[in-house]
Amino acid sequence: MDPRAEHAAVEGPIDILLVEDDLPTLERLRDALDAAGEFVVTSVATLAEAMAKLDAGMPRILLTDLQLPDGHGIELIRRVRRASPGTDIMVISILGDEESVIAAITAGATGYLLKDAVPTDVAATVRELAQGHSPISASIARYIVRRTQASGQAHAEAERRPALNTAKLTAREIDILWGIAKGFSYADIAEHLGLSRQTVPGHIKNIYRKLEVNTRGEAVFEAVQQGLIRL
Amino acid sequence: MNEPAGRAAPLSGRRHEKPSALWRRIGLFAVLQLLVVVTCLLLMQQAPPTPPAAYAIRSATLVANGESTQVSLPFLLHSTFTMADPPVFESSFQYHPDSAGTPWAIMLPRFANAVEVRINGQNVLDTRLDPVANRQLQNPSVIATIPDTMLREGRNDLSMRLYVWGPLRGYLDRVFIGPRAELSPAYRLRNFLFSTLPLIFKAWQAILALILGIMWLNRRHDVAYGVLGLTMVVGVLQGLAMTPLTTGVPASLDALLAATMPLEAALMFIFLVLFFHCPLPRWTPLLFLPSLVMLISAIPGDPALVRWVYALVGVSAGGLFMVLCLFFLARITLQRGDIVSLTLSCAITALVTAWGYDLLVATDILGHGRIFLSRLSYSFLLVAIGAGLTWRFAHALNEVDNFASRMVELVGEAEEKVRASFAREEERSRAMTLAAERSRLTRDLHDGLGGQLMSIVALSEREAGGERINQAARAALRELRLVIDAMDDMGGDLLLALGSWRERAQAQLRSHDIQLDWQAEQQGLPLHPELRPWHVIQIVRILDEAITNAARHSGAGRVRVRVGSGRPDGPEASGSGGWISISDDGRGAAPPPDLRVPVRKGRGLANMRARATMCGASLDIVIGGSGASVRLDLPATFPATPLAEPAVAASS
Repeated sequence: MDPRAEHAAVEGPIDILLVEDDLPTLERLRDALDAAGEFVVTSVATLAEAMAKLDAGMPRILLTDLQLPDGHGIELIRRVRRASPGTDIMVISILGDEESVIAAITAGATGYLLKDAVPTDVAATVRELAQGHSPISASIARYIVRRTQASGQAHAEAERRPALNTAKLTAREIDILWGIAKGFSYADIAEHLGLSRQTVPGHIKNIYRKLEVNTRGEAVFEAVQQGLIRL
Repeated sequence: MNEPAGRAAPLSGRRHEKPSALWRRIGLFAVLQLLVVVTCLLLMQQAPPTPPAAYAIRSATLVANGESTQVSLPFLLHSTFTMADPPVFESSFQYHPDSAGTPWAIMLPRFANAVEVRINGQNVLDTRLDPVANRQLQNPSVIATIPDTMLREGRNDLSMRLYVWGPLRGYLDRVFIGPRAELSPAYRLRNFLFSTLPLIFKAWQAILALILGIMWLNRRHDVAYGVLGLTMVVGVLQGLAMTPLTTGVPASLDALLAATMPLEAALMFIFLVLFFHCPLPRWTPLLFLPSLVMLISAIPGDPALVRWVYALVGVSAGGLFMVLCLFFLARITLQRGDIVSLTLSCAITALVTAWGYDLLVATDILGHGRIFLSRLSYSFLLVAIGAGLTWRFAHALNEVDNFASRMVELVGEAEEKVRASFAREEERSRAMTLAAERSRLTRDLHDGLGGQLMSIVALSEREAGGERINQAARAALRELRLVIDAMDDMGGDLLLALGSWRERAQAQLRSHDIQLDWQAEQQGLPLHPELRPWHVIQIVRILDEAITNAARHSGAGRVRVRVGSGRPDGPEASGSGGWISISDDGRGAAPPPDLRVPVRKGRGLANMRARATMCGASLDIVIGGSGASVRLDLPATFPATPLAEPAVAASS
């Protein structure tokens, strides 16, 4: 049912395509991942190089910056999401600003990595992603739940934000997002909502998948291209 | 004018539906009119005021055409035109002067048309000289003091010449001679009834004519007002008319002026038709025919002719028009059943009754003091109608005022709504501007400053001894995130801001191998709709400072953060705004190994207090042997502007 879940079960080293144009950051992340020992990292600094690597084959995990010297990381995300549904995609973001992260999520990313995360955190986050856990930050959760509120009342503010269809989210998923936005731990959320703690990451993954815009991907891309959404 | 009678539902439908209602109306109308007639007749039975009968002279010798006959007063002369050789009434009375020398007087309550009085051959009174006294239709009476010198003790001779001009016959009521004080009350009353009262009515008519004229000038479509005003003007002019004793065109015109009744009655009919919003009949111009005849009769310059034509044509036409008015009002009343036309019809009925009575008096069928009533009642009717109309007008103005004030109210409400929605719109656009500003700033920071800081972090990690640079750069990045985060719209829920802060604090503490034990009460913090970004920044900085202190100086292995809105296990809550507490299991009061720390720490604590004060929150810092504890009690309402330092006296 879930191709990505199947991948998670595959044994052996996990190949990662790392796309980052800032050299110190690139090295830092690569070092952090290498140090973990379980990843095989291919690092490139431009969109063109990344595309060339993709021509050779799809990675298990794609870590990409959005601002690349020769284009947008979102193009990369779209291509990988289409060609390889089993690949986990993470956006490398300095501040975790919601607009770019949300745009990446709608294109198919399932999480983001802060550039300044300490090396152990970098490795841990990627490892969790590979195990089928899609991390979601409080500010991203906040952004999504506020959009679910806004969409109900046709908030004028919503008009100019990136297209985000929250209609498919269930009440429980929105409750989970509220909990995350308010800083509650998965355990607390599970307890409050009467869930098993282990099911929370699965819910979050479902949330990501529901936010992904398959049919409207082109529209988002067009919007990005036309400057309606800046990334 | 908003005329309810005019708006009443048409009768045709009703008449077919409820014939009983029509009959009831007819019955009511007839009974009412009958009642009015009876009332009028009863009132007419009242004898006009007369002096005590003791002073009356009841008989006289009439010398006319060379013949002397004994007659009793009141006497009705059989010939109608005796200007040249007037009949003389000879009589006598006894005079006995008292010691006080009371002045005597002669009073003639009623005479037609003019009288010259002589006592002992000396002229006492000649009413021909008084134009007012010549107006027969106004029932003039005269009184004259008799000079002492004229009177003889005992028998005195009285001779009265009666001048009569047509068309009515001559008439002499009883004559009263006696002490003036005895005669005056009756004279004054008559004078008031038949002279002063009509004058007052004329004055009112003049004023109403002015008011109605002004109304009509400003509201040309209300023709009824103009017509009624005109009717009143004619009435006033009629009141000014003199009775000329000469002949010629001016005298004829004067006589014409007195003969306005058909014109007034025609105008009254037109007014009523217009007033009830009915179309004027095609024969309306014919109503002015009698007036035209009157006008033509004045051309030869003979007042007598005018008076004769008036008596024959004018009076009957006027009465006929009044009856016409009555029929019209009856129709309106029966059709519409409205109270205005019913009231008016009663008034017209009274007028017609008076007219009939006057006709009987003028043709000598009725005696009764020869008092004419129609002119007086007509004046009264006009004044009543005019006053009623003015009242209606004022009433309508009130309605307009009410409408206007209602409109003002409605407009005010609408304005309030628009203002509120404008304020909402402004608030929304402010929020949008803030959001747009934030995303622009975020992008700029992300692309620029964030990238640079990130490079510093990455580079410093590779350099030996770059730890402090790394920390400073990370702190700067945290600061950036805090500012950007605080600008987001939290919807008043501080916990949403704390959620992001938790992630940053966790990452920061993890780098120091300190575990973050975070627990928020399920209900979270109370909502603060007044929460502004600067509040969030101050509060998060307080928390950051507490975390930084714990990370750098306490040597703790675990930092506990508790968030709640109820009463915590610690010190009592100071407000209902919720609380946040941070505690560690570090050294607390024990001296830290780093010597520079107390200075920094002291400054840090002062900063935390200052920030708490600005937000109206109270801060409790307890540094004990088993670690430091910081507790922030949030205010029930965050202040709109930063509070001054001494506002909250925090005790540590």
